[in-house]
Amino acid sequence: MQPETILTELRKQSLEADTRRQFLQTCTTGLGSFFLANQFAGAAAGKPEHAPDNPLSALQPHINPKAKRVIFLHMIGAPSQLELFDYKPELEKLDGKPCPQEFLEGKRFAFIQGTPNMMGPQAKFSQHGNSGTWISELLPHLADHADDLCMIKTMHTDQFNHGPAQLMVHTGHAQMGYPSAGSWVTWGMGTENADLPGFMVLLSGGRLPRVGKALWSAGFLPSVYQGVQCRSVGDPVLNVSNPAGNSREIRRTALDALKRLNQKTHEEFGDPETLTRIAQYEMAYRMQTAVPDVMSIDDEPAGIHEMYGTQPGRESFANNCLLARRLAEQGVRYIQLFDWGWDSHGASKSEALNGGFLDKCKQIDKPISALLTDLKQRGMLEDTLVVWGGEFGRTPMRENRGGQEMALKGRDHNPGAFTMWMAGAGVKGGTSYGETDPIGYSAALNPVSIPDMHATLLHLLGFDHKHLAVPFQGLQQKLTGVNPARVINGILS
Amino acid sequence: MLSLRGEETVSFARDIRPILNSKCTGCHGGVKQAGGVSFVYEEQVINFEGDTGNPVVKPGDTEASEMLFRLTLPDDDSDRMPPADEHPEGLSDREIELIRKWIAQGAPWSGHWSFEKPTQPEIPVVAEKAAGGNDIDHFVRARLEKEDLQPSPPAEPGRLLRRLTLDLTGVPPTLEEMEAFEAACATDRTKATQNVIEDLLSRPAFGEKWATMWLDLVRYADSRGLGQDGKRTIWPYRDWVISAFNEDMPFDQFTIRQLAGDLLPGPTMDDLIATAAHRNTQTNNEGGTDDEEFRTEAVIDRVNTTWQTWGAMTFGCVQCHDHPYEAFRHPEYYEFLAFFNNTADSDLSNDEPVLRVPNDPKQYTAARDLDQKIRTLQNEIWKEGRKTATAAKWSALPLHHASSSNNTKLETKTVDGQHQFQTVGTVQRGPIYRLYSDFPASARPVTGIRLTILPKDPDKALKDSEWGFEISDFTADVATADGKETKVDFSVSIADVPYLPNEPNTLIGANGKGFEAWTRIHHTREIVMIPKQPIDVAGKKLKIRISNKGFLLGSFPLVVQRGFLETSVDETLTAFGNDPGRAQKRSDLAAAIKERNAIPSTSIPVMAERPQSISRPTHIFARGNFLEKDKAVSVGVPDSLPSLSAGERATRLDMAKWWVSDENPLTSRVFVNRVWERLFGTGLVATLEDFGSSGEKPSHPALLDHLAIRFQKDNAWSMKAIIREIVSSSTYQQQAHASAELVALDPKNRLLARGPRGRLSAEVLRDQALAIGGLLTEKVGGAPVHPPIPGGVWKPFQGGDKWETPPPGGEDRYRRALYTYTKRSIPFPSFATFDAPSREFCTPRRLVSNTPLQALTMLNDEAYAEAAQGLARRMKYETDGSVAEKIAAGVRIATARQPSQDRLDELVGLFDKLQAQYQSRPELMKGMAGSPDGAAYTIVAQVILNLDEVLTK
Repeated sequence: MQPETILTELRKQSLEADTRRQFLQTCTTGLGSFFLANQFAGAAAGKPEHAPDNPLSALQPHINPKAKRVIFLHMIGAPSQLELFDYKPELEKLDGKPCPQEFLEGKRFAFIQGTPNMMGPQAKFSQHGNSGTWISELLPHLADHADDLCMIKTMHTDQFNHGPAQLMVHTGHAQMGYPSAGSWVTWGMGTENADLPGFMVLLSGGRLPRVGKALWSAGFLPSVYQGVQCRSVGDPVLNVSNPAGNSREIRRTALDALKRLNQKTHEEFGDPETLTRIAQYEMAYRMQTAVPDVMSIDDEPAGIHEMYGTQPGRESFANNCLLARRLAEQGVRYIQLFDWGWDSHGASKSEALNGGFLDKCKQIDKPISALLTDLKQRGMLEDTLVVWGGEFGRTPMRENRGGQEMALKGRDHNPGAFTMWMAGAGVKGGTSYGETDPIGYSAALNPVSIPDMHATLLHLLGFDHKHLAVPFQGLQQKLTGVNPARVINGILS
Repeated sequence: MLSLRGEETVSFARDIRPILNSKCTGCHGGVKQAGGVSFVYEEQVINFEGDTGNPVVKPGDTEASEMLFRLTLPDDDSDRMPPADEHPEGLSDREIELIRKWIAQGAPWSGHWSFEKPTQPEIPVVAEKAAGGNDIDHFVRARLEKEDLQPSPPAEPGRLLRRLTLDLTGVPPTLEEMEAFEAACATDRTKATQNVIEDLLSRPAFGEKWATMWLDLVRYADSRGLGQDGKRTIWPYRDWVISAFNEDMPFDQFTIRQLAGDLLPGPTMDDLIATAAHRNTQTNNEGGTDDEEFRTEAVIDRVNTTWQTWGAMTFGCVQCHDHPYEAFRHPEYYEFLAFFNNTADSDLSNDEPVLRVPNDPKQYTAARDLDQKIRTLQNEIWKEGRKTATAAKWSALPLHHASSSNNTKLETKTVDGQHQFQTVGTVQRGPIYRLYSDFPASARPVTGIRLTILPKDPDKALKDSEWGFEISDFTADVATADGKETKVDFSVSIADVPYLPNEPNTLIGANGKGFEAWTRIHHTREIVMIPKQPIDVAGKKLKIRISNKGFLLGSFPLVVQRGFLETSVDETLTAFGNDPGRAQKRSDLAAAIKERNAIPSTSIPVMAERPQSISRPTHIFARGNFLEKDKAVSVGVPDSLPSLSAGERATRLDMAKWWVSDENPLTSRVFVNRVWERLFGTGLVATLEDFGSSGEKPSHPALLDHLAIRFQKDNAWSMKAIIREIVSSSTYQQQAHASAELVALDPKNRLLARGPRGRLSAEVLRDQALAIGGLLTEKVGGAPVHPPIPGGVWKPFQGGDKWETPPPGGEDRYRRALYTYTKRSIPFPSFATFDAPSREFCTPRRLVSNTPLQALTMLNDEAYAEAAQGLARRMKYETDGSVAEKIAAGVRIATARQPSQDRLDELVGLFDKLQAQYQSRPELMKGMAGSPDGAAYTIVAQVILNLDEVLTK
């Protein structure tokens, strides 16, 4: 071996480290320097690398992508599959009877004590569309889209408390601190619109989810990939509007001076980061108009407002559905909606199956249906994946918190089975995947884990979940974690 | 390197291990050990006979070594290693040659570099010594000479002062300090620099700056995380860290106190506060969550954080299986976990155990003395009682009636001569048990009743605890045959442990205190009730009533699930209950408690060991799953590192001392590397989080060892000394200018041919802006503060957690960033945007990003807008002279140097243009105070605050 000079060895080492485990850092900080260009050229083939001047550029997909973007509708609290999509006539027959012991052995519950009673479906079901998909009377508008929906009835998770279970759905891990699916997707696919963040989050229902921003965190990925929360009150994106006295014209004047001064700094110190910074200030300036434009629904035609049930200026799930379509249209990659209030334990009126749950169904039925119609008529459902679901399911038993039956009707958390549906790009509409047991308590045929769902989502976007990975703390970290996950081929079109 | 025979000498660490790690350990590593072969462990390679019966490697014998045979098979042979389908590229000829030579040379095996103790390297001799500077420069220059590179000249004084002041104190120098330093440099630069370094190290702001690094590691936050993320009061620990840096507490003490301050002999208040380090773990108080699950999560986090913080090892991997690359076995994870598994905390919503920290540190000693006195009295009182209770003779009490209120059902059965009662079916919260026994006419008066409480399944509960119980009241009546009832008066109850969060040793039911296994039960528990007078039960019915009020997280009834009663007729019991000496001790105790309660204090969670009698055994978790317990283990450290002198009897304190023992190869290196990274932007080992074989090798291994030894030995673990040493080097003090060639050659400045340059951290950016705007409050320590936060951000899950911002001008509006309330689920927006972690877990290294949201924050966030106004005021009102002079002063305040003429012209031009705009269109100033020139100064100030030169050091 020719003895290498220490420097060459060092550079090689650094190169390896960059491509292997640390390119995280360079891909965010690097822009416009020939070093990075060199490094890029030298990167081992097949390793994920962003264009050196843009961390929001797309990585080479592993497979042919079907979907260009995702709209993920999360019903925080976990809606009952037994009242909406998973029709269980057997459960009806058991209504009011004590739960057989076989269903209780080895199970852990959040609130149920001892032996609860079974509870039949609290809504009427019928079949819809050519596919004959079962949907309950509580979602009459959505039922019109029966042939667009692909029901996954056998979702299951290993978490039965909200916080960890929500983290599972969005980050693939039950602890805080991991990158969310939206971050992974933005890391993999970048953004189509340089003036908007690639991953945006919209909330309705008035409360932040209990683990808060951890649900759209970039975890150990650089912060450029984290979800940007959009708000209906105040700035649509934090700090997007100027302080008093800073008109757009004045801001431009100031930025022009700043740019020239920073160029001088670059000439003096030679730090490539300075050039990146100049570019980021310019993008920020463009975002200041792009964000308010996309977030204003004032100019939507009356027909659209009618269809969604939207009212400009309000914070509502309906408004967020319309915004989701607008963001999708503008090239935002991952649009995450959270709706609050689905935890139907029956402990209070607002959280009872014979109370607030009925209102929640009304609040989402028309807007989701409108979103699907709207995407379809714009030709966007073909390359947009819409996902709907909660963080776990609900028990076929009636909740008996504290060991006694409550006045209102509710169901406890059930990690064993729940329904999620997908619609749009790359999935078979009008299908139903998997079967739960006769009482809808656990996934019986073709169970689908959260990592399976993530693997499928990434697959539709063109990525093999096993290879969309970054090395961190000694592991090849993936959205799908360390245990095996599989793409659900049965739902792909 | 060439040997005598002219043959190259192969180094295992340098040449062989990298090949094994990249091509072999995927299948023959810690996780997969195909054919039992693991290239992580010597004994699973050298002379190890795998499935084929041939030694994988036979030292000196290339022919007999199966490894080489397999490597050299043709690609299409199914026995070829690595298998062609997974490693189509195979090993290169060169790599195979290296392995051949290594085997031929005797296949020497060696540990990973960081597992070997650092040895003092020779200080390299260099052609050109640095002016000023120290040994560090020799190491750096020796390397530069080899590369034919020149170091850069020293930074200009103003910029050097700014770098030093920001790095050591986190705030920029003042104008006066710049002037004084520049003047002093003109006469003796070296001396002026040394003086300023001493001055900066002695400021309280030093601790405020360096605490942040540590708080990232120990994941300090003011909230509990996970389910509800409620507020947690733990800030006295944050202040402890600041003081530790300011007082230059030696790192060994710093370590021992945090990991095991509670186990030190006669711990001081400060020793106990330090243990809050590991109470920064998340707890989950969401309804329906299993306390044992989240207690376990917290313990696991303590293990992983300890290994990250002190060892830079990815020990967390070992939770589920052997480490894929390091020599850490799966059981070793749990042996280490055992050090932490017996602390009293258990994911409780009240954060127990807590320490009441006096608000006035002057009262620390008095408060600790009282705490000790209280604890001693409690112990004495308990011991006497327990002795009496244990000595007495007890007989089983037959139950003739056992029932429960509400839907909870009790059944009775006789087990081992005990008349046990047990719940069946659904247990409803809050049941009251009625347990009756009929005594024969011959019965002697009862002097004590003993209640023993068992887990439903005692054998299993020891491994997998059950939900516990809380007896909120225990009463008894005696009924005669004609139905006349007399209430029994009890004098005292004696529990089986000396103290619990709810002190049970007075009397159950008194002052709302009960007897409990809160919230889990592992062991059989018991309590003795002593009546004031022997109870005459002859021919009567004893009616016992046990009230179970406990109910947890909206879900779990904490009730006695199984138990039995016994009685005694031993009069020593009643005598004990009525002993006036005991009463005296009790009243002493009450007085001490009263006195302690009078000291205004803040309660914070701390570490404390559970009593030995109810300690938790530690089991291996199969595949890392806490519900699948494998065999039991005792404490230990991994075999691949120096052993513990105390062996299996070691405590958490021994473990803490092990980290800072002379033999430990990791701790000192890891810490100096962290310091280096904070000062230079990249560590000597770039992977701060991984000193293992998958981490990076050090760029300057000898320098790393030199610094490690300087820190640990020569400077006796002084953190200030090692920081002083690094910033005193001429390497650190070089100017940061880089030519295009140098950037191309060494983009990350790993060779250090120039001074450090990099974006400031989230905290420093904000503190600097406030300082430049003349707003920063210099007040050290105290409860977290609530500076302005953008509207709509603060929507905590729990409504009671308010964000109350002081009005403009209020002192707490402008405190240093590290005092800002750190809520995990709602990270403070401007900090999160600039890459501050949200502190869920140990963060060894922050990734530095450069994004448009950062620009929006710097330009538009309220704090920065106020800072710009502040700087505008300073320029307009506090500086004499022309507009150009005023603006030049503004630039100097912010950048620590005079602007060049062209830059000044740019800013003055901007000012003129803006002033004209505001003059002609006053409506543009709406919402801004004052006049067109004031408005123009504000925008100019904003531009200055956003200069690349200001955002970087």
